[in-house]
Amino acid sequence: MANWAILSGIEGNLLAYEAVLADIRRQRQPVTDLYILGDLVGLRGDSEAVVRRVRSPQRGESIPQVCTGWWEEQCFSLHGLRGLPDAPELVERYGLGAVKDLWEAVSRETVQWLADLDFGFHELDCLLIHGSTVSYSDELTPETPPITLCDRLIRADANTLFCGRSGLAFEGRVEPGALRSTVTTLDQTAAPQEQGKSPRRVVGVGNVGRAGGAPSYVLYNPGTDQVQFRCVQSSPARGFGAARSKK
Amino acid sequence: MKLAVMSCIHGNYEALNAVLSDIDAQKADQIYCLGDLVGYGPYPNAVVEMIRSLDIPTCQGCWDEDIVEGLNACDCSYPSQLAEKRGHLAHEWTNQAIHPEVREYLASLPMTLREGNLCFVHGSPNSQHEYLLPTMDGFAALERVLAAEADVLFCGHTHIPYLRELENGTLSVKVQQPGQSETHREFTAPLKRIINAGSVGEPRHGRPNATYVLYDTDSTQVTLREVPYDYEKTCAAIIEQGLPPIFAWRLARGMEFAERAEDAGHVCER
Amino acid sequence: MPHLIAISGPSGSGKTTWISQFLKDQSTPQYYVCPGLGEISVDLARMGYRFPSVQVVPEAQLKTVLADLPEQATLYLEWGFHLDLGSPFLAELPWERVAVLPPDLAESDWHGWADRVILGNAVVAPANGCLPEIWCTPLTGQVFDPPSLDDLLIELTGGAYGQVCRMKGIFELPDGRAFYVDFVDGLPGREYTELAIPRWLSGRPDRFSGIEVAGYGLNREVIAQTLMDSALSDAALAQYQQHYQSLHPSEEAISV
Repeated sequence: MANWAILSGIEGNLLAYEAVLADIRRQRQPVTDLYILGDLVGLRGDSEAVVRRVRSPQRGESIPQVCTGWWEEQCFSLHGLRGLPDAPELVERYGLGAVKDLWEAVSRETVQWLADLDFGFHELDCLLIHGSTVSYSDELTPETPPITLCDRLIRADANTLFCGRSGLAFEGRVEPGALRSTVTTLDQTAAPQEQGKSPRRVVGVGNVGRAGGAPSYVLYNPGTDQVQFRCVQSSPARGFGAARSKK
Repeated sequence: MKLAVMSCIHGNYEALNAVLSDIDAQKADQIYCLGDLVGYGPYPNAVVEMIRSLDIPTCQGCWDEDIVEGLNACDCSYPSQLAEKRGHLAHEWTNQAIHPEVREYLASLPMTLREGNLCFVHGSPNSQHEYLLPTMDGFAALERVLAAEADVLFCGHTHIPYLRELENGTLSVKVQQPGQSETHREFTAPLKRIINAGSVGEPRHGRPNATYVLYDTDSTQVTLREVPYDYEKTCAAIIEQGLPPIFAWRLARGMEFAERAEDAGHVCER
Repeated sequence: MPHLIAISGPSGSGKTTWISQFLKDQSTPQYYVCPGLGEISVDLARMGYRFPSVQVVPEAQLKTVLADLPEQATLYLEWGFHLDLGSPFLAELPWERVAVLPPDLAESDWHGWADRVILGNAVVAPANGCLPEIWCTPLTGQVFDPPSLDDLLIELTGGAYGQVCRMKGIFELPDGRAFYVDFVDGLPGREYTELAIPRWLSGRPDRFSGIEVAGYGLNREVIAQTLMDSALSDAALAQYQQHYQSLHPSEEAISV
C-alpha cells in the first residue's frame, strides 16, 4: 500500500530534515515514496550538507524524488544556467548581499546536480511541484482567489496539486459550481454548455526548515486519497546548529 | 460607440484594404488591432505603414515580437516538420524584407491595450503565444478575463473568430489548516466575454475571406464580420515575392500556412 | 496448361482490387506482373507485401517466367491504361482478356478488346490522346513525419502540385509500420491500408517503398522537395525509434 511523504523548504536546515526523516521512520504505515518539492538550499544553515544527505539516503529510507524550487532557480540565475542573469528576484527580496551569500552557500557542482532535476512530478492524478505550472514563484495560499486556485488546478491537469512555495500547510478544496458557456462562430451558435466539474484540491505541504517554526510536511495515501499534516517536534538543539562548512 | 477589432494581418495588404473599407461602410468609430501585422504575407511594410498612417492602436503579436528579436516562432506551434520548415522560410523572408523603421515600430508596441472594461491582447493576458481556444475549460477562460481585469477580453492568435459568453460562474473554496477551523469562501463572476477577432490575412476557417469583429459598447452587441476580397492578388504576390508558393494554395482554401492553434493547455516556455 | 489472364481498364477502375481477390488462393502457383513501370512499382511492392505466396515477377524476367510456367499456374498480367491494347505481346499468347471498366462507360477500345467485362469503380476514363503523365520515385529508406505526410498527401491530391488523377504510395512511419495509400480522382478521400509486414524498429528500412503519381502539369521538383521536407533525418528517426523501444521493450527490432 503506497504512502507518500511530501515536503518542501528545507533551506539548508539539516537538523530539521533529519527530524522529518525520523518522523517518517516512526510512521505505523511505512512511507513508500518521498517527494521533495524544491527549496533544499537557502541562505541559512548548510545547503551542501542537506544536498549530500538527500543524495545519500540510508538503508530503509526511500530514495527522495526531488524537483527544483525558488531557491534553486536563484542559484541557476546566479550561475547563468537559466532565467534572467544576476538573480533579480533574490536581490529584490533579500538585498544585494544575498548574492554573495548564496554564491558561497551552494557550490557549482551542487548547482549542476540541481539543474538536472525535474520541474515537478505527475503521479496518478496528482501534480507535485514547487510553485505551479505557471512558474516556480507562483505562491498559492489560503488567501489566493478561488478562481486562481481553480485555474492552477486546470493547468495542472490533476485532481490534487501539491505545492510548497508558500511554506504553509493547508488543504484548499475547490468546488466549481455552475458556469454556462455559449460559443458563437461564423457558421453557428452552439447550444449553451453547463460546465460542471469534479472538486479538486490544492495542498500546501508546509515547510521543513524555515526559521521560526517546527518542521512540517504532509503524508498522502493514494489509496484512500487522504492527506495528513505532520508537525514534528524539533530537537532541543534548535535551528542551524553546526557551523556552515565551507568548500 | 462602435468598435472594430481586427487581428493577424500577416502582410496581406489586399485583405487589410478590404477590411478597412468594410469597417468604413459599417461606420465604426474606433479601430483596434491585436497584432501580427507581419509574417507569412507578401507586403509587411505596406501593412505597417497603413496601420501607422491611420493611427490604429495596436498591441504586439507573437510574429511582431519574433521579428523584433530575430527569433523563430515557438516550435511547438508547428503541427509538423513540414510546417516548421515552411514557417522558418517565411520568417527568413520577412526578416529580410522588413524596413528598419518598421522593426522599430513593432518593437514599440505594447503587450495589452485597454479601454474602460475592455482589454485587448494578441494571445492571452499571460502571453502572446497562448491560444485561447473556444473549447478551453470554461473556468480557465473565466480566469483569463478576470486576470485581464476586464469584462470583455479581445484576443486573436487562433485565426478563427468566435464569441464566448461565460455566465453565472460560481466557485467555492473550503480551506483547512492544521489546528484551525475550516474557512469557506464563495465566488461568483458576473457575465464575462471573450471575443476572438479571427484573422484578416491568414484565415483558417476554410474560406479565404478576411474576418474581424464589431463591438457596440452601448448595446454590447457583437458581430463577427467576414469580408470577401480579391485573394488571388495576394496569391500572385506570394509567388512573385518568393514566399513558399504553397501558401497561395492554402490561402485560397482558408487553411493555416504553417502554425496551427491546437493545444490550449500548452503555454510556451518563452 | 497454365492459365494466363490479362486485365486492362482505365486508371483507378479496380483492376488490382479484382485481381487481389484471387491471389489469396494458395492451392496453385500464382504469378503477378504489372509491366510498364520498370523497377519502381508501388503495385508490385504492395502485392509482394500482401501476398507473400504469390510470385511477383519483374518486367525484365517476364519472358523467362512465361517460358517455364508450371502446369497448374495462373499468371495475372495487369495491363495499364498507358499500354497499347494492340501490342504483339498480348497477341502472341492465349491470354484470357478481362476489362475492369466504370459502369457508365458505354463504348471504348477496352470493350472491343476484352473477352469479358467486369464492372468496377465509377471513374472518368481519360479521352484517348489525353493520357496523363506518370511520375514515380522510390522512397526506400525514407521514413516520414506522420503529420507532414498527411499535409503533403492532402496538398498533392488536392491539386497543389498539378492535377492528380491517381496516386499510389507505400510510406514508412517512425513506429515501424508501413502504409499503402491510394487516391483516385473522383472517388472520395484517400484510402489508407496498413501493410501486414513486421515493424521496422531500428535504422532505415531496407524494403521497398515509393510513390507513383499520374496526372497533368505535375510539378515534379516541388513534389520531390516536399517529400524530402517531410522525411525524418537520421537523428529524428533515431529519437523516435529509441522512444518507441522504451515503450515497447519486448518487441524485437528488425535490423539490416
